[in-house]
Amino acid sequence: MSGVVEKMRASRKVLAEYKYKPAQIERGYAGKTLYVNLSTKNIESKDVTQQMKDIFIGGKGFGLWYLWNAVKPETKWNDPENEIVISPGPIAGITQYPGSGKSLVVTLSPLTNSVMDSNVGGYFGPYFKFSGWDALEIQGKADKDVVLFIDGDNGRVTIEEVDLDPSASHLLSEQLTELMAESEQDRKNVSVVSSGSGAEHTRVGILNFSFYDLRRKAARLKQAGRGGIGTVFRDKKVAALVVKFSSLSGKSNNPADPAKIARTGVKITREINKFDDAQFRMRQIGTANLMTPMNDYDLLPVHNFKYGSHKDAVGISSEVLRSRFTQKMPDGCWVGCALSCCKAVDDFVPKTGPFKGKKVIVDGPEYENAAGLGSNCGIFDPDYVIEANFYCDTYGIDTISTGTIIAFIMECYEKGILNKEITGGLELNFGNAEAAMELIHQMGQGSGFGKIAGQGVRRLKKIFAEEYGGDPVFMQDIGMENKGLEYSQYQAKESLAQQGGYALTNKGPQHDEAWLIFMDMVNNQLPTFEKKAEALHYFPMFRTWFGLQGLCKLPWNDIIPESNATSDSPEKIPEHVQNYVDLFNAVTGKNIDKDEMIRQSERVYNFQRVFNLRLGFGTREHDAAPYRALGPVTEEEYESRQERYDKQLKEDVGINPEGMSTAAKVAAMRKYRQERYETLIDVVYKRRGWTENGVPKLEHLKDLGIDFPEVVEVVKKHL
Amino acid sequence: MITVNGNQIEWEEDLTVESLLKKMNYTFPKIVVRVNGKVVEQKKWTVFKVPDEAEVQAHHLIAGG
Repeated sequence: MSGVVEKMRASRKVLAEYKYKPAQIERGYAGKTLYVNLSTKNIESKDVTQQMKDIFIGGKGFGLWYLWNAVKPETKWNDPENEIVISPGPIAGITQYPGSGKSLVVTLSPLTNSVMDSNVGGYFGPYFKFSGWDALEIQGKADKDVVLFIDGDNGRVTIEEVDLDPSASHLLSEQLTELMAESEQDRKNVSVVSSGSGAEHTRVGILNFSFYDLRRKAARLKQAGRGGIGTVFRDKKVAALVVKFSSLSGKSNNPADPAKIARTGVKITREINKFDDAQFRMRQIGTANLMTPMNDYDLLPVHNFKYGSHKDAVGISSEVLRSRFTQKMPDGCWVGCALSCCKAVDDFVPKTGPFKGKKVIVDGPEYENAAGLGSNCGIFDPDYVIEANFYCDTYGIDTISTGTIIAFIMECYEKGILNKEITGGLELNFGNAEAAMELIHQMGQGSGFGKIAGQGVRRLKKIFAEEYGGDPVFMQDIGMENKGLEYSQYQAKESLAQQGGYALTNKGPQHDEAWLIFMDMVNNQLPTFEKKAEALHYFPMFRTWFGLQGLCKLPWNDIIPESNATSDSPEKIPEHVQNYVDLFNAVTGKNIDKDEMIRQSERVYNFQRVFNLRLGFGTREHDAAPYRALGPVTEEEYESRQERYDKQLKEDVGINPEGMSTAAKVAAMRKYRQERYETLIDVVYKRRGWTENGVPKLEHLKDLGIDFPEVVEVVKKHL
Repeated sequence: MITVNGNQIEWEEDLTVESLLKKMNYTFPKIVVRVNGKVVEQKKWTVFKVPDEAEVQAHHLIAGG
């Protein structure tokens, strides 16, 4: 045992203890949830009601329901009553179907001040459920840093003070894994949730969920990345959550029909083995397979989303990143995942920062890391991308928000809104990797200009206007946030449907609700507003369903079955949709169909919309998008794609661009695109059963069976 | 002329599915191609000739992170 871990073990001081008999899992549910109050040190068990299972299903649904009951309309993210709720969902933990080890984390966000949810892999969720719990509520605030230990082997939960350093998540995960394990082999039975020093100093903190990799003999990390959940975690003075469960088997989830799960799993595993190498190569490259096609299709964000491609993007192409991944075998974040999209760079030696010169493992880069930290900041150096990825993870800050924040700052710097005096000497031009890396260190360590940068784009716009005289209108146009959350890394200018897919969301512009760019822009499958609206109903509801169950989205459409070529709706991957219906029925013993699947999501989705209303958000004004997401803001953007835009003016808008100045063309294009976006909102709201102001109609809530008195009370104020 | 995903494209002699996709810069790894409503299997893309006035759908299957 290392000296650090020996010291940690000797320092353990139990502040509260709760002993329990782990519940037997029955058809995917433990039937109990764990409540921990860090202020009072109260630990208790709650029963899962039938209503919770029927209406909220699990995962994000349970998180929203508990959070709704915990907070008041005026509660802020850093008030003690705010909760972090982690729930895996009924399907989570099966080992026969790929992508079945996810947890959903829900809290009030320091970026949006409203409800945030994030979907994360790693072993914590399944181990936690098999330790006897369907959800974990963490409320209150501790006086000093504490660790919450959940020993599922012995039925014991403790809140403890431990002498540890919470600043570097990759080290803390290793150390706590070693602390809880009785042997090297036993480490695979431990999972740690932690953050890092960056979560204390910024609003973009993440949670790292670990899984122990026996081949590497190291704890690997997956991230609940969006919306500053790690910031809430550290504000509550939680250094880490640790779960240990040693009896995992293929039967741990105790499903109603294990044979059906096995058959469904064998079927898709065969597909993956047969087709993955010729399709998306998830096993070889993971999500980084998207780097090259996104650049080819003018969809890769470049220079704060000004452009969609760059001649130097080859420097961080899919093949370059593939060459940097050092494991040469499939690698998954949960047991039995044949899609195995996890990728890592072993023995990477950072050139900067506290781990300069030391060998580390970097989990990634994934597409979002490389696009956000790389191309969007005009940096096409794979070593930079890998190092920035590593430091964001171990400091506990979101790679997506960090990329979009730095890109915004770089554009402000190039426009003269910022200068070296303001940035403390950092020359934050696009492409300056050295300055960008220093800014990440400052964000992670709470120093210099990084303290300001870590506030997120929405607050930066205000700060830059008030303190440095920046033009608020221009910054509103180019600041890529909606609802306070930074955009994830796709160029949406040429897809109206995706503009809605980003901004007509519950939590903000993360592509996990809808990714419609190819259907809309390339395939031209959504030529009318009504078709776009139908897609903006179906896909957000369908994708929400993964978050209710503890599932990963990737095995749905990152492997395509043979049957799809002759399907009437190939974009839905009907065979895989049926797989999920079968899985749910086989786990729970229920008998839903694909329509009821969407209804399950609709209940939770509309409940979340009402939750936003309750907190003072959730209306039309909060679905506005920055113009950079809709079209060319500047003349240089227009001129970079002049042929395309001139053609659109002529054919779509009915204006002859000949003889017009670029400024006039930009203005004409803007008017046209903004009008279309407003029309899209009208049609989508109608399809979703909402008023023109984006408020769910009472009859719709009644139809969904979520017209609880407290829900109706909130909605009536807006009708 | 042919239409590809609703766009008018100049037809040329001996235009195969593969050469059409190349012409369109459609490099995505999973595309389902239909010519006049009938699926053309990927293994036939090099030899299947697209007739003049054909309606071609080259549906890129959604992915995303």
